[in-house]
Amino acid sequence: MNDVADEDVERWVAAAGWSAAPELTPMQTLLWRAERHPVQSSTSTVVIDLDRAPDWDRFVAATDWGTRLVRRLRQRVVEPVVPTAAPTWADDPTFDLAYHLRRERVADREEMLVHAAQIALRPFDRTRPLWEGVLYEGMPDGAAYVLKIHHALADPLGTVQLLSMLQSGRRAHTPRKPLGDEAVAPVEPHPVDLAVTGLRTDVASLPETALATARRLGRAAARPQVVVASTLRYGASVRRLLTQAAPPSPELSPRTGRMWTFLTLDAPLEPLRSVARLGGGTLDDAAVALVLGGLRRYHARRDSPVTEIPVGVRVSLDRADDLGNRFAGALISGPMSIEDPVDRVAAVRGEVLSLHTERALEVLDAAAPLLNRMPSVVAASALRTAEAPDAFVLTLPGPPRRRYMAGAEVQGMYVLGPLPGAALTVCLVTCGDTACVGVNVDASAVADLAGLAECFAEEVAAFSA
Amino acid sequence: MSGLSTAVTEAIEAIEAGPQGPSVAAFFDLDGTLVAGYTAATFYGDRLKGRDVSPAEFLRTVVTAVDGELGGDPTRIAHVAFSAMRGESEEAFADLGERLFRSKIAGTIRRESRALVMAHQRAGHTVAVASAATKYQIAPVARDLGVEHLVCTRLVVEDGQFTGATDGPMLWGRHKASGVRAFAREHGVDLAQSYAYGNGYEDVAFLSSVGHPTALNPHRDLRAAAARLGWPVLDLSDPVGGSLLAAGRTAVALAGMNAGVGLGLAYGLARGDLHEGRNAAIRLATHLPMALAGVSMNVLHQERLWTHRPAIFVANHQSALDIPVLGRLLERDFTIVAKKEARWDPRAVVGSVVIDPAWIDRSDSHSARATLDGVVDRIRSGTSLMIFPEGTRSATPVLGPFRKGAFHLAAQAGVPVVPVVLRNTGELMRRSSLVLNPGVVDVCVLEPETDWSVDDMSERIAALRTKFEQTLARWPA
Repeated sequence: MNDVADEDVERWVAAAGWSAAPELTPMQTLLWRAERHPVQSSTSTVVIDLDRAPDWDRFVAATDWGTRLVRRLRQRVVEPVVPTAAPTWADDPTFDLAYHLRRERVADREEMLVHAAQIALRPFDRTRPLWEGVLYEGMPDGAAYVLKIHHALADPLGTVQLLSMLQSGRRAHTPRKPLGDEAVAPVEPHPVDLAVTGLRTDVASLPETALATARRLGRAAARPQVVVASTLRYGASVRRLLTQAAPPSPELSPRTGRMWTFLTLDAPLEPLRSVARLGGGTLDDAAVALVLGGLRRYHARRDSPVTEIPVGVRVSLDRADDLGNRFAGALISGPMSIEDPVDRVAAVRGEVLSLHTERALEVLDAAAPLLNRMPSVVAASALRTAEAPDAFVLTLPGPPRRRYMAGAEVQGMYVLGPLPGAALTVCLVTCGDTACVGVNVDASAVADLAGLAECFAEEVAAFSA
Repeated sequence: MSGLSTAVTEAIEAIEAGPQGPSVAAFFDLDGTLVAGYTAATFYGDRLKGRDVSPAEFLRTVVTAVDGELGGDPTRIAHVAFSAMRGESEEAFADLGERLFRSKIAGTIRRESRALVMAHQRAGHTVAVASAATKYQIAPVARDLGVEHLVCTRLVVEDGQFTGATDGPMLWGRHKASGVRAFAREHGVDLAQSYAYGNGYEDVAFLSSVGHPTALNPHRDLRAAAARLGWPVLDLSDPVGGSLLAAGRTAVALAGMNAGVGLGLAYGLARGDLHEGRNAAIRLATHLPMALAGVSMNVLHQERLWTHRPAIFVANHQSALDIPVLGRLLERDFTIVAKKEARWDPRAVVGSVVIDPAWIDRSDSHSARATLDGVVDRIRSGTSLMIFPEGTRSATPVLGPFRKGAFHLAAQAGVPVVPVVLRNTGELMRRSSLVLNPGVVDVCVLEPETDWSVDDMSERIAALRTKFEQTLARWPA
């Protein structure tokens, strides 16, 4: 028992140091400023199934402890008055846990999922810490905790990491849990000061920037063919990334992005992994293949044959097989005519790896700092230039073994991502020996929601066979 | 220049150490992988020369090609070409493929790619060419490499004519990958154990469908992807093209050959000994031009050239360079048997003055036999004979069948046969080329074989040919 507690403490100490940067990164800034909720949203929602309703007081106390351990949960974003600098994190002096955490009663799990989707659709108060949690009680089999979190605070990967870090390895209460440094809250920065400081930094670095630009132009003038050729190649790559994937499926339209419906399903992890192995792919590839298989069944059921659809995937910019830290989103053509799951995984694998030949894969990362100096309308439309896929698919590593929250056992953890133009966003979270699949569906684009859920369940069975 | 690079040798050793048998496959891309350059460009160049292309079609082709380079659909160019072939005869196109193979494409097969193919064949692997090209481009290359399977784009043929459409997708990018996976299912191939070699940026999906992908002379974007994906990269040397400099040196070398002959004969006349004059002319006429052209030799078992004289020297034949190379090796007291038609070949005419060949009229067997009787007498009196038993130059290093003539002569004259294996003369001077490129010629003299008789001649010839093949496949250290 002591071992478990030690492991918990170690993890909690690590959580205290989680995401301590004072400013938003260029990419976070871009998403923050370009946000147009809910159509261009950066909100993820996590649904956590619990085996019983935890003691409310203990749950509140544990959450309070969590916000003290991870200071970011008590901080808000302060924007400079003009976008000369990145937004900063600052402690919220008016932080009130009761504003962020509450409990509700529902009759069953379906009702809880409807509520969760409604919570997700409501925009955040951007002047407060960017999270909201609701504990649902009254269900016949256990309870559920729904946590909504903004992308600037944590992307889906970070959210799952954070939750895995905060949960406990045992059911019993752990007294004297560690806390983060009782650091004095940073002085509340004034938006005007922020803008001025940013401008001052810009002006100070101006001669240097000018010199560097001049030098670069000089070098370009000396070798015009090389520069022209590499610019053309980069442009060609951007063009391929932005256009060539597949025509969107007519069966998955019209999309409004304003009617979110949450579906969850469980898949045993081992068969999924072995299909991935047989197809020479990773779990990510298998997740994409699983989604494509479900959609293939759905299209067959609706008598609407489609051979390929555009799918948004995440590509590691480091070595492909490692779980690196740098990712880029990109579109692939998802094969819809392959019946065999193994062959489908192999096809998806080929599509995803082919993205590595694109030199412009990091184009948005590269453009983010520049876009951030522009009015937010420009940034918002830059994010929209890429054609939206029919589905986004994302795989996230969750806790490797059983976890508890205030005495209640975690039975499943589902991430429901936003719908930026897509008909579906699917997140697969590994929880112990199960893959918890959360599907956010644009209800205006899918005519037969129950049918879609059945198709996904059938495909999970096909993967397990 | 000679031999295989360390990286290729290591790759071949890994193939030999790995699993063997037909359940392991090796897939080779064609353009840029097995051959240097694009076979489609060779075909298109031929169309342009033949004025088969209207200005409108040409413009459309260029625009489509440029658009493909700038991020548009890169397969459209091929579809433009396929639809332009509408109504053409399949047979004529296949013939064109054979003709272009002999005249152009054969010379662009990479030697080290061939070595990789052969390594997989020795391991008993299922070897296939997987390419977006059509079988008219691939089949001659595959046949030359002894590759049986093609995974390629198929064109629809009706009543012996192309319809301009493809049968199924063009096997480019993802479609090549799915073609390879379908082939694996049909042939019981275990892809996780298999190998694939490709060079294009579109080959990532194809390469990723096997357990052992190799980026071979990769396009810059594939090179970047291979680095990220941790795939091995092999950079093979390209067949030497005729550079302007090489052409100039060839001209100087030809002049050197003539000068050598003249000097040698003058020397002989001055000494009043035509025999010695001839030998001197041979030395000068072979040493001078090869030195001038920057060609040197690396000879294994040189001593075997001298232990059994007079003898019949048999060698494989790929290039016009073979004759001066053998001349330099044999140095003195030898002649050749040549077909009568070659008598007026400008490259042979000077040499023929010195070595006094026995000209054979193949169309007249009576006169041929008479000539050969004369040759037997010359051999017995001490003049060795140099013969190419394949009879004609091969377009590639693949051996042709051996004719029996040389061995009959050995039996009649009662002299041994000394086999001489020439490795890369075809690379330094291509079959139909007049240009000699600088480099090192690899020569291996095999064990001389004595006591030839008619009884077991066929078996011995077959065995000897196998020795040639083995030596070419695995060059002795």
